[in-house]
Amino acid sequence: MSASQPNYTDPPAAAPTVRVRLFAALREAMGWSEQQVAAAANPATPLELWQQLDLAGAWLAATGAPAGAAPAGEGLPAGIRVAINQQFAEAHTPLADGDELAFLPPISGG
Amino acid sequence: MPTTASSAAPAVSMSVSLHPDPIDPCQQLEQWQAQLQAGGAEGPAATSLFIGRVRGRTVSGAPLDALELEHYPGMTEGQLQRLTAACARRHPVAAVLVRHRTGLVLCGDAIVVVAVLADRRGPAQRCCQELLEALKHDAPFWKREWSSGMGEWLLGNTPLVEAPTT
Repeated sequence: MSASQPNYTDPPAAAPTVRVRLFAALREAMGWSEQQVAAAANPATPLELWQQLDLAGAWLAATGAPAGAAPAGEGLPAGIRVAINQQFAEAHTPLADGDELAFLPPISGG
Repeated sequence: MPTTASSAAPAVSMSVSLHPDPIDPCQQLEQWQAQLQAGGAEGPAATSLFIGRVRGRTVSGAPLDALELEHYPGMTEGQLQRLTAACARRHPVAAVLVRHRTGLVLCGDAIVVVAVLADRRGPAQRCCQELLEALKHDAPFWKREWSSGMGEWLLGNTPLVEAPTT
């Protein structure tokens, strides 16, 4: 009954698998509303999943950007927000295995 | 006998819900107020009410067939609760009601109802306005305008019209 000791030969944790959800114009542009995605990067962030899933091109098309236009910035496009486990989060938040990650187009409620 | 500490502000009563079917704002308000006063207590003196309805025209001016409201099941309800609680903490109000449609909403039908009860008109009106703006920016809803069989997603809110300066 010894206290657990760190095992320095443990392999590094695997990259997380997350449930990605899309809504509204982004869902229609990509043709799917949710997918289980094994992140390619470890640790993985929402921004990395955005890039891994190649969502930028679909979003540009959905918002009527001219053909050939490419986002110059390093972050998510203006207006796209991120939610992790149904709470707003930053694009650089590290994801955990089993997280629910949603990319939200500009909100229009009320 | 326990001593009475300085009393905390009474808990604000919140009633927040999504509705896939048409709602009658006045009926919702009446039922809610009846429930609040079921114990026989006198209701607060001030009520501030907002009702948002679907316009007959799209943003570009074409005739509108219907407005479709998509939401994020789970997060939308949670956000509405959080936003309502936060507004209610910032103002001395007694009760807050939020009703929001989802799905297809026809021209003239109510999309959203926000009502605030308070002892004074200032807090009632300010809390109501603040909560409406908060939910328009931070509650996950997306509107699609249907016109002549074609649907177009709105990419943001209509601007809040500022008060005239003169």
